[in-house]
Amino acid sequence: MRDATHMEHVVRWARFVKENPTKWKAQHTEFINAIYEKAGSALDKITQMPGGKEKMRKLRELRIKAASSR
Amino acid sequence: MEPVEDRSILDKFCMEFCSLVEKHVKYIIVSGFVAIAAGRKRATEDIDVIIESLDKEKFIRLHGELIKNHFSCIQSDSANEVHSYLKDNLSVRYVRENNEPEMEVKFAKDVLDNLQIQGRIKIPLTGIDVWFGSIEMNIAYKEEYLKSDKDLEDAKHLRIVFDANEEKINKCKELIRKYR
Repeated sequence: MRDATHMEHVVRWARFVKENPTKWKAQHTEFINAIYEKAGSALDKITQMPGGKEKMRKLRELRIKAASSR
Repeated sequence: MEPVEDRSILDKFCMEFCSLVEKHVKYIIVSGFVAIAAGRKRATEDIDVIIESLDKEKFIRLHGELIKNHFSCIQSDSANEVHSYLKDNLSVRYVRENNEPEMEVKFAKDVLDNLQIQGRIKIPLTGIDVWFGSIEMNIAYKEEYLKSDKDLEDAKHLRIVFDANEEKINKCKELIRKYR
């Protein structure tokens, strides 16, 4: 269970979205894109490490296995 | 719909996938991405899509179009095999590049899914031109069925942003209790 301050933040941000329909999107897009860019660069770094390609192959296999068992 | 210049990676990925699917079948985006598209600040590894159930021939055409546009299915390259997963009420996952999310696709499996598709909506606030399941049904699902911290936070976000109709949410919850 997350602590109460987490939900307080969710509520505060939701109110910001509601009250600022022309302002929230730019901040939101920056946040979302940063997550994927960060993940992408981490994956690139893993690939370039010794044995990285093999690790990526195993990660992909795990992904396929998990997807097939859902 | 107003043009929005600052679409996120998720927005663009979802729109590109849905524009291909829309040519073949009715669909809805449901669950986490409804909240995220409406401003919820969190990550996701997949975007959930429910499509009308398709016979094999029609599905092969849809799958072929996705492949032609550089999507691939994690479970299998074979359209026949992917179709059999879907007919067994399993989800399949389409991806394009490593650092993009996945589209998790399911066939509509019961009255509840088909009702959602019939009542699908566009949500101007999101700035993206795709079909969503109703806000009330998404809130109901998260509060009545899924119930994780993340889902309850998504529901709270949707309630605040859309002033969701309590009576409609309760009716959706009744349907969920009946069919799930």
